[in-house]
Amino acid sequence: MFSVILYGRNDSHGYNLHKRAAISFNALAEVMSDPDDEILFVDYNTPEDHPTFPEAIHDTLTDKAKKVMRVLRVRPEQHAHLKSKTHLVALECQSRNIALRRSNPNNRWILYTNTDMLLVPRVEGESLSDILGAVPDGFYQIPRFELPEMLWEAAFDRRDPADNLRKLRDWSVRFHLNQVVHNFMPMKYDALGDFQAALRDDMFAIHGFDEEMVLGWHCDSNLAARLALYRGRVDTLIDKLFGYHCDHTRVAAANNKGRQTKMNDQDRYIWDVSTPYLPAQADSWGWPDVTIEEVRLDRETSYQRFTAGLDAAIAPATVPYTTTSLEWQLYDDLTYDLPHTLPFVCDQVLTFPRSTSVLIGATRADFVTSFAKAWKGMGFTGTLLVPDECEGLPSDLPGVKRGPFKELINQAHLFIFEFGIATQRPDEPVRCGRLASPVDEKRLKMLAKLFRQATATEHETRPTGRRLPRRFIGVNVIYNKYWPLFTDHVGANINPFCSQVLAGIPREDPSLRGKVLRFRGRHAV
Amino acid sequence: MTDVGILSKLSESLRVKWRERSGPNRKAGDGKPKADTEADKLFLRARVIARSGDIDMALRLYADAAALSPQFDAAVEAQGELLDLAGRREAAMAKYAEARRIRAAMRQGAPDRPFAVRHRGNFRAEVSSYDTVLGSLKKNALPYIARGNAYLAGGKPAQALLDYEHALKLKPGLLDVQAIKAEALLAMGKYDEALTTIDAVVTARPSDSEALSTRSVALMGLGRLDDANADLNRQLALLPTSQATARACIALRLAAYELAHAELDSVIAKHPEDAYWRLYQATARLRLGQPLTAAQAATPDSWPALLLSFLFGRASEEEVLAQADSDGRRAEAWFQFGAHQVAHDPESAKRRWRQIVDYAAPSMIEHAAARNELKRIGA
Repeated sequence: MFSVILYGRNDSHGYNLHKRAAISFNALAEVMSDPDDEILFVDYNTPEDHPTFPEAIHDTLTDKAKKVMRVLRVRPEQHAHLKSKTHLVALECQSRNIALRRSNPNNRWILYTNTDMLLVPRVEGESLSDILGAVPDGFYQIPRFELPEMLWEAAFDRRDPADNLRKLRDWSVRFHLNQVVHNFMPMKYDALGDFQAALRDDMFAIHGFDEEMVLGWHCDSNLAARLALYRGRVDTLIDKLFGYHCDHTRVAAANNKGRQTKMNDQDRYIWDVSTPYLPAQADSWGWPDVTIEEVRLDRETSYQRFTAGLDAAIAPATVPYTTTSLEWQLYDDLTYDLPHTLPFVCDQVLTFPRSTSVLIGATRADFVTSFAKAWKGMGFTGTLLVPDECEGLPSDLPGVKRGPFKELINQAHLFIFEFGIATQRPDEPVRCGRLASPVDEKRLKMLAKLFRQATATEHETRPTGRRLPRRFIGVNVIYNKYWPLFTDHVGANINPFCSQVLAGIPREDPSLRGKVLRFRGRHAV
Repeated sequence: MTDVGILSKLSESLRVKWRERSGPNRKAGDGKPKADTEADKLFLRARVIARSGDIDMALRLYADAAALSPQFDAAVEAQGELLDLAGRREAAMAKYAEARRIRAAMRQGAPDRPFAVRHRGNFRAEVSSYDTVLGSLKKNALPYIARGNAYLAGGKPAQALLDYEHALKLKPGLLDVQAIKAEALLAMGKYDEALTTIDAVVTARPSDSEALSTRSVALMGLGRLDDANADLNRQLALLPTSQATARACIALRLAAYELAHAELDSVIAKHPEDAYWRLYQATARLRLGQPLTAAQAATPDSWPALLLSFLFGRASEEEVLAQADSDGRRAEAWFQFGAHQVAHDPESAKRRWRQIVDYAAPSMIEHAAARNELKRIGA
């Protein structure tokens, strides 16, 4: 019957985002009763190494919410072409259009709302699917009622939407919450963007939201203006349901700077709108030709993929624990525990697109073998690119491509550099003062050279069309002699030694030292 | 006496006066334009009274407005809103449901026509809302355009034209407004002027399918059938196959029944409840010499199902005409009479179709189809 369209990203937009979003997702799912109903969440521009927002809070969602939710992930690289036009990190119109394009065509209605809304049917037991199924074609809005932060934060159990809706019915009377704020036509009500129900056919006919609106605010009013023209009127569903907004202004969100807030031009996008249509984006709205990844919370979850990958690559531990040490006298010892380290490496890559191709510079053959198994087990389809310059590594693994570094670097979306000792045996104790052999030294020297080259030339060696810097993952680069090398070239956080892994994008160090480092890297000096 | 009290008292006397003027035996719909105007006035008065807090008086005024103009959904919905505010939930819900029934029963204009002329119903509430906006925002185009559209949909093209011209003064050369201005001119029967206006739009936007529709109507009104057909064909070529309803309408205008029949198959699959599509499919089958199927039959008690019954031989011309209570319905009836007669009595069919050309609005599907039928049989 209807597709709910929401958007956001895995960040901290406003006060206690995680709680109000979970409350809202669960409450929206609670009022769905048609098998075609769906919640489309566009996760816009979440950093590559983060899970999507719904994945991050999945444990707080009900089974029903997980079942009806489709997460459409828009990658930072897909947003990159718009970055210079806006101060915002998540774009409403693009997000909503991406979801609209990919919404279930069986659904008659599209409902635009936000991740802090609860919709309460006035007749208990009636679903929103029932309501929308019974009303004639039109463009419907409802007024938004505010819910003080104390109430939703203190009293709602995010996994009990039925009780939350019941509480709202009670509070609305006890605390006089229901105040309709009328507004000029075509908006009809204040805060109209929290409930705009339009026919899917109508939204396609008017070419979706206006994607020129990249500065935030008024996207809802623009839609109201255009749909009011298209339909001739704005209808209400106030007799059918009430909408409550979890107020979150204790902390201003990123797009709220008081009177200094940058906004889309009201005259252009509301008061001088002259047509419902957007012919300039008729063929491009919602990015029809762009592959948008879809993530489900009820199947093939990140956890399932992660464990499938590791189970394929490593056997369970046979001892209660193992040991290592970060004492300074062991600074030159590059031995490390691969089965312990691999989960942290996989953790760094899991959130990347499945089609990602990774360039692996490594010393240990067992690292490449194990990672290749995990990579496949996690469902990745991209190629593992292993430079010929890295000697002693396997060349016959499925999904692994060998070739000259200069050829492979242009195909890589991600880099892994593993600094270990090629001669380390699987049963060898780690960090006992082991010195590198001449073979190890030779391979490490080559690896360091490739690493410097890769970071220094990252910008000009990106695959065709790629705009954003690629990420480097360093394995076994904490508190050993490759720590300075890695962190000189890559802007990585401080990570616990135990994880053995650092990651980041190439540093842009404008100092003389930074320039020298880049020069040396570029020219392999 | 407070100001509110004076207002209520005045409203009550106005209400009584209007009732008396309407007469004891007045039938709903008699003298419709005047009744609509009176209903509009009552509606506006009710709004003011409602804001002043006299809910009972406002309810009475809204009820009177709805009684005068039974299609006045906004007056019915406003009663619902007031009853809801007063805590009379069940009565309120009934009024909201009634307003939606009125709206649902209102068939939108043909989907191949521009959006602004597809709206049907009473748009007094919208006019009033945009009046309010214009009290504060006088230099922006949208309120004028939206109010103009409401006037146009409410059958007041002259007032619509004033608003469109005002919008064009504010934003000279706005093609979107010129396009709907041309529609207002068409509704006023000013085909020449409409053609000049829409020509400028089509020249600037040759792929604007709605503008082509407007121009085809202007040309149809001027009797330039070949030019009108050329625009219809261009419009058809621009519309994707996903817009089957619009494509079917254009095919019907062109009397291109094979195409119409094919498009109507998918239209009916999507809108099985709409008797017009089944009627038009039956018409297409009839004109293609194909037998009518039982699936196209419908209960004969409502329009346009009665026309279907006529095609099936279950209703007479007299019975059909008895229910053809508007110019549009009469044109629809004449067209079906012609389609039914053409095989065995072409002269009668010609007469029927000629009637349409002479009396029906050129924006009607039947008008264009009748012209094309007449051309085809050499009349």
